[in-house]
Amino acid sequence: MTTTRFHAPERLDEAIRLLAADDEARPLAGGQTLVAMLNADLLSPSQIISLHRIAALKGIEKRSDGSVRIGAMTTHAGLARSDVLRDGHRLLAQAAGRIGHEAIRNRGTIGGAVAHGDPSADYPPALVALDAVIEAVGPKGKREIPASDFFQGFLTTALGQGEIVAAIILPPSLNQARTHYEKFARVEGDFATVSVAVALWRGGVRIALGGVGPVPVRSAEAEAELQAGQLSDAAINDAGALLVAASDPLDDVRGSADYRRRLIPRLVKRAIRAAQAKDAR
Amino acid sequence: MSNEKITITVNGKRYDKEVEPRRLLSDFIRDDLRLTGTHVGCEHGVCGSCTVLMNGKSVRSCLTFAVMADGAEIMTIEGLGTAENMHPLQKGFWEKHGLQCGFCTPGMLMTAVELLKEKPRPSVDEIREALSGNLCRCTGYQTIVESIQRGAEIMQGGK
Ligand SMILES: Cc1cc2nc3c(=O)[nH]c(=O)nc-3n(C[C@H](O)[C@H](O)[C@H](O)COP(=O)(O)OP(=O)(O)OC[C@H]3O[C@@H](n4cnc5c(N)ncnc54)[C@H](O)[C@@H]3O)c2cc1C
Ligand code: FES
Ligand code: FES
Repeated sequence: MTTTRFHAPERLDEAIRLLAADDEARPLAGGQTLVAMLNADLLSPSQIISLHRIAALKGIEKRSDGSVRIGAMTTHAGLARSDVLRDGHRLLAQAAGRIGHEAIRNRGTIGGAVAHGDPSADYPPALVALDAVIEAVGPKGKREIPASDFFQGFLTTALGQGEIVAAIILPPSLNQARTHYEKFARVEGDFATVSVAVALWRGGVRIALGGVGPVPVRSAEAEAELQAGQLSDAAINDAGALLVAASDPLDDVRGSADYRRRLIPRLVKRAIRAAQAKDAR
Repeated sequence: MSNEKITITVNGKRYDKEVEPRRLLSDFIRDDLRLTGTHVGCEHGVCGSCTVLMNGKSVRSCLTFAVMADGAEIMTIEGLGTAENMHPLQKGFWEKHGLQCGFCTPGMLMTAVELLKEKPRPSVDEIREALSGNLCRCTGYQTIVESIQRGAEIMQGGK
């Protein structure tokens, strides 16, 4: 086994300094992806910088403007149970509760999952639908990146060298929306074959799909169609077809590309109807 | 090689040890502490056989470094009960034939302990969902579900 040094700094700036100084160093959050990759010999970092002692990365906080700031080290289980997430923001709690199994949710964190950038994972479409912002901190300071710009390709994000995800921010506006997360997986606890995150509000519609492209898939035409057609069956059918056209699915163990294309319209309809069934605000 | 000093309480007993940073909690439990009831099947989080409780919550010991458990309380299958004094869930597995080869059983039991803490009377669907991350190659799961139902019944004071 290669020699790996371990650090668990208490300060965020110390973690950033260690990461920025060595491009073979890796941050460790819940380890539910990283340790599995190490076990499979896919990586051999020179240093592991565990983020678990850093207070600035913890906690879920509702701010005075109604936005919610979720520290990167918040676990999936913590998010799924959080009562700070209310109304439209429940979408994210719903997605968190569908990740893997309880033992995975007890350790895995939103920061680690977002930084990993897996397009079949549950947070990316949920965050895009909620118009969330990723707060990144690196050697050059802090910046806020909209979720729709953050996910750039398969396992590729906007994070630069030495930069980490510090928090996820949910804007107050979509708290007013009716939202739903619909996940279709082969078995409970698997990654999605296709997933649909939807937010509906008086002024518009946002839909993001997971598992059907290198990044979460949206279609402005589909959203306009739904808005204009007032979510009628016909508008949903048209929007489903537009989203299929916008998607770029692959064949893999979780389903063929063709199968995924067939799932999209059905799941979109299911997700919209489920969101509508929630209490209007 | 830089070793890390850790203090871990396992099944109520405190251990002060030095570990290599990448030492897995599963290997630490099995090889350093010689508690071989925790099994290792896949080492990527999928089979559930290595499940232990860390501060009361289920975790995959194969996806947790021992250093990350510094200061934590771990409970393994050895801490659940003994042959003379079985935990109600172990009695359930005994009565309902919840195991054949036994490889998956420690992970099944530790997962079920957490389930019953949250839901003392789980439905069949809730049991199946909780076990979705624990693979069994022998039983077909039916007797495991029945064993957990039986364990819950015994915990509720049933005979
Ligand atoms: C059996 C199993 C089933 C799963 N099922 C699902 C599922 O259904 N849906 C789903 O979405 N996910 C699933 N996952 C993945 C799970 O969500 C992981 O928890 C998550 O992908 C990684 O989070 P982590 O905290 O464990 O990160 P780690 O494994 O610690 O880190 C992951 C990566 O991100 C980096 N990193 C960690 N934290 C940060 C940070 N704050 N800033 C920058 N980089 C960071 C690490 O260096 C590493 O490259 C599953 C995993 C397993 C093992
Ligand atoms: S050995 Fe840990 S989940 Fe399989
Ligand atoms: S009893 Fe053999 S794997 Fe479950």
